[in-house]
Amino acid sequence: MTATSATARAEAPARPPRRRIRTPHKRAIIALVAPFLVLFALFYALPVAYAVWESLLVVQRDGTFGPATEVFGGLQQYALVFQDQAFWGSVGRVLLFGVVQVPVMLGLALVFALLLDSPLVKGKRFFRLAYFVPYAVPGVIAAIMWGFLFSPNLSPFAALTKAVPFLGADLVLWSIANVVTWVYVGYNMLIIYSALLAVPQEIYEAARLDGAGQFRMAWSIKIPIVRPAILMTAVFSIIGTLQLLAEPQVFASFSSAVTSTYTPNMTIYATSSLPNYNLAAAFSVVLALATFILSFTFLKVTQRKGQDA
Amino acid sequence: MRYPKRIAAIAALAVSATVALAGCSSSSSGSGDTAAACAPTKGKVTLDFTTWVPGMADVVKLWNDKNPDIQVKVQEGPNGNNGTYKNFFNEVKAGNAPDLGQVEYDALPNFRVQNALADLSACSAVVKAKSDFVDWTWNQVSLGSDKSVYGIPQDSGPMALFYRKDLFEKNGIAVPKTWDEYKEAAKKIRALGGYITNFSQTDINQFAGFVWQAGGQWFANDGKDWTVDLTSSESTKVADYWNGLIKDGLVSTVPAWTDEWNNAYNSGQAWTWNSAVWGANSISSGAPDTAGDWAVAPSPQWSAGDDAAGNWGGSSVVSFTGSKHLYEATKFALWLNTSDEALTALNKAANLYPATKKGLKLPALQQGVDFYGGQKIYDVFAQASSQVKPDFTWGPTMTQTYADVSDGFKGAVSGSGTLTDALKSAQESTIKALKAQSIPVKG
Amino acid sequence: MTAETLIPVPTGQRAEREERRRSRRGYRGTGPKQSPVSRAVAMTVMVVFTLYTLIPLWWLVVASSKSRGQLLTTNGLWFADFNLFKNIGDMLAYGDGIFGRWMLNSILYAGVGGFLATLLAGMCGYALAKYRFRGRETLFNVVLGGVLVPATALALPLFLLFSKVQLTDTIWAVLLPSIVSPFGVYLSRIFAAASVPDELMEAARLDGSGELRTFFTIAVRLMTPALVTVFLFQFVAIWNNFFLPLIMLRSTELFPVTFGLYTWNTQINQVPELRTFVLSGAFLSIIPLVVTFLLLQRYWRNGLGSGSLK
Repeated sequence: MTATSATARAEAPARPPRRRIRTPHKRAIIALVAPFLVLFALFYALPVAYAVWESLLVVQRDGTFGPATEVFGGLQQYALVFQDQAFWGSVGRVLLFGVVQVPVMLGLALVFALLLDSPLVKGKRFFRLAYFVPYAVPGVIAAIMWGFLFSPNLSPFAALTKAVPFLGADLVLWSIANVVTWVYVGYNMLIIYSALLAVPQEIYEAARLDGAGQFRMAWSIKIPIVRPAILMTAVFSIIGTLQLLAEPQVFASFSSAVTSTYTPNMTIYATSSLPNYNLAAAFSVVLALATFILSFTFLKVTQRKGQDA
Repeated sequence: MRYPKRIAAIAALAVSATVALAGCSSSSSGSGDTAAACAPTKGKVTLDFTTWVPGMADVVKLWNDKNPDIQVKVQEGPNGNNGTYKNFFNEVKAGNAPDLGQVEYDALPNFRVQNALADLSACSAVVKAKSDFVDWTWNQVSLGSDKSVYGIPQDSGPMALFYRKDLFEKNGIAVPKTWDEYKEAAKKIRALGGYITNFSQTDINQFAGFVWQAGGQWFANDGKDWTVDLTSSESTKVADYWNGLIKDGLVSTVPAWTDEWNNAYNSGQAWTWNSAVWGANSISSGAPDTAGDWAVAPSPQWSAGDDAAGNWGGSSVVSFTGSKHLYEATKFALWLNTSDEALTALNKAANLYPATKKGLKLPALQQGVDFYGGQKIYDVFAQASSQVKPDFTWGPTMTQTYADVSDGFKGAVSGSGTLTDALKSAQESTIKALKAQSIPVKG
Repeated sequence: MTAETLIPVPTGQRAEREERRRSRRGYRGTGPKQSPVSRAVAMTVMVVFTLYTLIPLWWLVVASSKSRGQLLTTNGLWFADFNLFKNIGDMLAYGDGIFGRWMLNSILYAGVGGFLATLLAGMCGYALAKYRFRGRETLFNVVLGGVLVPATALALPLFLLFSKVQLTDTIWAVLLPSIVSPFGVYLSRIFAAASVPDELMEAARLDGSGELRTFFTIAVRLMTPALVTVFLFQFVAIWNNFFLPLIMLRSTELFPVTFGLYTWNTQINQVPELRTFVLSGAFLSIIPLVVTFLLLQRYWRNGLGSGSLK
């Protein structure tokens, strides 16, 4: 991202601040960008601004059943957020989860995309469909299914599940990781695969003429070319990990090890159900900031000079 | 900065839009207590009724066919704690709540604290109906007030003991009448390889039912402050009792309402279930292979000869603040929850057990039930219903209390701490949660 | 600076013939013959993972074919009495055939919503990739910012917004927010940058084509794999989304199928036969997604870039 902004900055004159820079194709740009932007502003930006506003309010009451009024409370909600040990414990938990699960999942997705893109694999259409299908299964059903498969008594692999407590305190986080990986490997694989499809065949001509084998081509040509796609899936996987909600919630119904504040987003969900909108909004803002810092750091670390985003 | 003007313009737009959006959330201030007038509306009225009771539309059709001027439109959704309560709160904030809604007893104080409930005492028909209902159910909807009433009780969940008659008889174990006898029976059953029951770490309202039976109170409200007392002597007595059973390995701790749990009952691994009247259906559907083997007995007591019962579940029909057709809404709700035809239909469609005195004597509830060996199980529950202590009070943040107690119970079952420790820590976090919403609380 | 500029591309009719020849045979270029060992290893890896992805699905098919009592008592991975069609029939009849209505709703929301989302995201991503303008990166980062906030925090504000214009409990309440796909913008941007060469746009301009016309006639063709991916994912996301219907919809006739199943799932304790209906319903609801995928698969072809430069 910074490479393109660098070139953008290099093009526009730096000195006279008031000179109007003529943007070429201005009307076209507006026509292309505006529809998305307007709806985005309405359904994302506006609600976010509202949530931030809510997080600055505090409720005051009159008596045990007295009516409530919201008044400006500054950072009081945030003080509560920072004192909440369970919340920070859950943040640590999803970070641990992310550090392991995201590289594993994306590594697998990359390998499968490369295999699919190579002549080594026959029956590409079948595999594409097979890997896609887990994403098509609704989350509630997927979790019921896995709950059944992990169950000590009812699983068809009962010998294994009785011996290894997949739903116990030590392993349940990784059992959830397994479900998340199962759902999203195919999804990420297809993104990387589509990026590979966009590469014109001529690029490989020179490499083949040089005698490069599939592995060499994958390593030296394909991976660098789809780097932007990989980075993008990584960023969105990081965001998704920090916002983990659906899978742990269903696991909570059949595992004694999953509490109601197992992940940060579960805390937010529980708080907003109380309903304590103001505190839930504060939690959301803090979580969003943490996610932003993490994504931003990740992108900065993976930037290389001269790389298009 | 290169584009101060543009950024300022965007920021101004964002702020004004946010304020406009905030403006449409009517944080209900002001006179929340003046009961809306209960006068009939001229002309045809259509009421919206949001519920999750399956088959409600068929029951409501009975009303719609006979009342062309008051038509009720049923809106179904997931049950309260799975999203519908959140929707109610959102709707009250936005000012477009339905005319009628389904709210369980333990959620009523929460709705009351959010000022979401209309006071139905303005309607004379409602006040007159008080004597139709079993006393403790009316207390559940009047929330400690002598004059006001915030919902019409619909169903109840008096608790009793479901047990495997065949297994008890075959092994010569007497049906326990006290909790001490229950523990003795548990030891015998464990020696035979089974478990007397399964301890659920997620059904905290079941546990509350045990505390209710023991005479404990978790919450109290004196008008000025709430008191939170999860660790009262009765509550601790119940917690220590079950903790003992868990630590001695006398009960299984499978997560409830899972395939695993159904299987435990279906395969005869678990021999009893301390449950409410609606549990009759849960057993027959979850453990179909055991048809005819079960029977129902009154709950075990703390002292021999006592006759106390707990309650698990039950809901009411409420009208939300700002409702414009209170008269018509209460007219319908009273029909739904007191008339024989509606109660019979509700029992048939959703296995609901009435909250009215007359309802307990419905013909449908006087039959023997095949699954229970032909026993007239509802007689046991009718008696239990009369033995439920009348003044159990729920707190204003029960979802949070339930979640925290459940988290603690899960920990205790996995080895860290006891059930009483869980109650202690939930006590602290509940007080914190109340304070976070500026609800006055002692301690 | 994209990779194409490094390598001279064949142009004109020769390129088109070459392209057709290649695609007809699934040809992937000359080169050293693939060793049978690496082929075997590759296939084994793919097959093993396929088992992993499909076993839970197989469980769903098997579970949908069982009656309620058999769900618990028989082996989860093989059939007992085959009741699949009976279960499906019962489910379709339940609630006056509401399931069928739910499927139609889902097709509407996901089809129209997915199409519009792809259109909007494609346009925006293309503009971000191929044009330079002030605030481009800021815009891009703001779009990312929208994704950072947990959806649960947006529930109340969205509901208030739609309440204000009295659009709650209508199809618009589900359709409109579904049209916004920040992820789609990201994907489109990356693909547009990689697959639409600046030279092509210049050539089109010289030919007198307006920018929008260039987009719709040329760029869309080049970005087809990306747009198809965006559509597919958005289609599935809208299909399986139950968060938005949960907060916006009250009338059962407007429910999409996944939300309907979720509602049934919460009523299982009172109406036990819903258990089998939820499973058969889930099985049926995956079918349109699979069909959509199969129909769109053919758009995943490679190398559409070469030969377009005249």
